[in-house]
Amino acid sequence: MLNVHSLTKNYGKKTILQDISFTVSPGEIIGLVGENGAGKSTLLSIIATLTKSSSGDIYFNDLDFKKDRKAIRKKVGFVPQDIAIWDNFTVEENMVFFEKLSWEKKNNNQLKQLCLEMKLDKWKEPAGTLSGGMKRKLNLAISLIHDPVLLLLDEPTVGIDLKSRIEIGTYLKKLAKESNKMIIYISHDMDEITSLCDRIISIGEDPFYQEILQNNGKEILSF
Amino acid sequence: MIAIFKTRLIHLRKHIFSFIFWLILPILATLFVIYLTDKLQEDSKIPIGIVLEEDSALSNDLYEVIQENPLIRVYDVTEAEARIKVESHELDSAFVIQKDYEENILEGKRNRLITSYRSDMSFAYIPVSEMIISYVQQETGRAKTALTVMNLSENRANTWTADEIIAKSKEIQEEENLLRTSFSYQKTHQSVDEEKESLLNNWMLWAIFSVLSTLLVSDWIIKERKAAIAVRYAFMKYSLKSYMLQNLLLYTCAFFLMDLLAVFIFHFLLDEPISLQLILSLIVFRITVNLGSFLFALLFRNIYFYYVISFIISLILAILSGIIIPIEGNVTMLNPIHAFSQHSLLNPWLFVFILITVIWIMKGESDA
Ligand SMILES: Nc1ncnc2c1ncn2[C@@H]1O[C@H](COP(=O)(O)OP(=O)(O)O)[C@@H](O)[C@H]1O
Ligand SMILES: [Mg+2]
Repeated sequence: MLNVHSLTKNYGKKTILQDISFTVSPGEIIGLVGENGAGKSTLLSIIATLTKSSSGDIYFNDLDFKKDRKAIRKKVGFVPQDIAIWDNFTVEENMVFFEKLSWEKKNNNQLKQLCLEMKLDKWKEPAGTLSGGMKRKLNLAISLIHDPVLLLLDEPTVGIDLKSRIEIGTYLKKLAKESNKMIIYISHDMDEITSLCDRIISIGEDPFYQEILQNNGKEILSF
Repeated sequence: MIAIFKTRLIHLRKHIFSFIFWLILPILATLFVIYLTDKLQEDSKIPIGIVLEEDSALSNDLYEVIQENPLIRVYDVTEAEARIKVESHELDSAFVIQKDYEENILEGKRNRLITSYRSDMSFAYIPVSEMIISYVQQETGRAKTALTVMNLSENRANTWTADEIIAKSKEIQEEENLLRTSFSYQKTHQSVDEEKESLLNNWMLWAIFSVLSTLLVSDWIIKERKAAIAVRYAFMKYSLKSYMLQNLLLYTCAFFLMDLLAVFIFHFLLDEPISLQLILSLIVFRITVNLGSFLFALLFRNIYFYYVISFIISLILAILSGIIIPIEGNVTMLNPIHAFSQHSLLNPWLFVFILITVIWIMKGESDA
């Protein structure tokens, strides 16, 4: 269980996030929406322990974000907004490269299986020549090598074809339901958010997202 | 460490040829420059002709002395050839070591030992003839002294006046002086030789190319640090810093293997001696250069700018090392490869680099 309590983030005098509190339980997918510059990436980066909060507490099970960063990081899978893969490596080389540096040992077969589960089948092709959708899948697969229980995705499907988008969504849903993972997911695609997420967190001043999501029966937390 | 080694292999496989090229560059470039300067020197030597009319110990000695001069190339010719070739400027000048040269020397005769041919364009005539005269003086002086001493002892029974003895000793002294001048003449020649060698010191040359290749190979630091990938290390077993330091160690080992190869190649091709001191100073040099390149590359974001600065640094090192223009004095202390050129184990730069690295690592602990 992830417990965010009264979280605030300032950059200088500018307050980006104010008094944010929510929880995420195993098996849950949380959608994170808001206009550009609302602070979505900042919030995700704080939960990923990459950025420090200005005040407030975050706990992951018994682990305190102020003290146990290293232990928390082992459990976090972070999918960065910018695709973080080696373009000159093949899919296989990318997976092997990050497996060597990972907490978790996996053999080539397991790595290949991980890719195939999200329909990434171009095992021997250089990542640089892959389509946008395939690159996004690889970006996600690399973040899953160490079997994280808390998965943080920053616009993982931005700018890719519908088929890949659905394949990634289906896979995430399966991860949450079958493997009991906690997923926090940033997206601008409201169809994707409503079909995928159990609950939605809306941040920022613009009421647009709240209004558009009002009548679909999902719980919305607004900050 | 093995894990890091395997990830490095994946990277290296992508540009294995350029990697090997940069590894081997210091050795090849050094051999090439040495070969080229040798050849240039060979081509710029002044051709002179020598006619050996007799085959005796002393005439051969003289021949060798002339031949050893680094600025001269000796051609064996007949007297007739010598005359024609000097006239046609094919030879700068020619010298005939006459028959009975040795006999005349031993008898202390200094006339008509050597005949020479020169033209109006003979540049080497004067220095070579001076060299020969000095040598002949030395030999005749030695012979005459020996003769005198022999005469003195043989004629002990005879009556010598004090005036005679003084006159004799003055004569000997004069010969001695001649001997001495010819010695110092040879000595200056030797020291000129030594200087020339230190200007194109094989290891110094190698060290400069080595700094260049290390800097260029260290571009991985810039590429991998600025990559979008860098954020992933937070969620992996190795932090980006630990990953980079272990890679630094691997690269340093790879370079050091090439350094050892250089030791053997230079030993066999350039007659460079192998010693424990050399190997130890190579280790110090290698760590200094790789650590220095590592820290230096950390300062850069733009890789092309880094390449340009790397070339400029190598050029500055070459100048500081006196390869391009001779330099002396305190600036040599600023030169990080100076210590190595002395095969010294104490390089002040190494301590500076280690200190900065420790600070860099500690700074990382807090924001990791
Ligand atoms: N390191 C930083 N220093 C100062 N301001 C920042 C920093 N990172 C982000 N910001 C600001 O915080 C706000 C939120 O950014 P971000 O979290 O990236 O928004 P979103 O992902 O919702 O588009 C933006 O106004 C951005 O300019
Ligand atoms: Mg963002």
